[in-house]
Amino acid sequence: MNAAQEDGSWGVLSDLPGHPMMWVLILTEVVTFGLLFLTFAVTGALHPDVFAAGRAQLDPILGGVNTLVLITSGWLAALAVENRTMGHRTTARLLLGGAAALGCLFTAIKIVEYAAKARAGIGLETDTFFTLYFLLTGFHLLHVVLGIVILAAVAFHDSPENLKTGTSFWHTVDLLWVVMYPLVYLVG
Amino acid sequence: MRVSTYRVTRAWIALVVLTLLSMAAAHSIAGGVIGSGLVLTAAVAKGWWMLMDFLKLRHAPSGWRNLLATWLILIAASAWIAAAIPLLHG
Repeated sequence: MNAAQEDGSWGVLSDLPGHPMMWVLILTEVVTFGLLFLTFAVTGALHPDVFAAGRAQLDPILGGVNTLVLITSGWLAALAVENRTMGHRTTARLLLGGAAALGCLFTAIKIVEYAAKARAGIGLETDTFFTLYFLLTGFHLLHVVLGIVILAAVAFHDSPENLKTGTSFWHTVDLLWVVMYPLVYLVG
Repeated sequence: MRVSTYRVTRAWIALVVLTLLSMAAAHSIAGGVIGSGLVLTAAVAKGWWMLMDFLKLRHAPSGWRNLLATWLILIAASAWIAAAIPLLHG
């Protein structure tokens, strides 16, 4: 099967940037997190007092700083694709390194946040809010770690197509956090 | 600077500004129906910019953009309704 036939066999997914298989994963993540977000919202409407008390114990500034870290990381990743497309391989690799480093910073801030909760005696079984909080943010954090590994992999195997594929996953992780931050920390 | 590079940086600036405004809005009018609406509207706008200029869907078929925009609006609307119900019940 040649490249054109392979592209055609993916149907409408062939119209998206990067490898279509990555978009199968991205769409699966979007549906999965979408259901988790809806569960969080509906449970919040059913238990408003528990959610208000739980949300009051979160640090919205720390969550906001993490949002700025992740969108800046996404910016560097997008610039890496631009530079690779123009043939600037070294610049693209440095930008990917910066994006991955900011991903590590996001992870470190999240661990600091979890540690503060643990010191306050708050855990997975504290109440419904914190069960969903740890489930949502923990599941997302696993995706951040996977995204860092993918960014490192495409920095080594740095064809323009690989960069588009790897950064598409990273931008999805970024997008999910941008939606999750107001839901969990700010609204309600 | 190429147009696409300019768009990426413009999107990043918009995302930073909207994030800072959301943090300020949530702090100053926390818990209100209007405050929640503003913060969630900002989240939809941020998501749209990420889809267009980071994920590069600006030139993808409109069906994909509409599908993902619908996802964003559905999540934000359900979160806003869920936040508003207890407030309206007093």
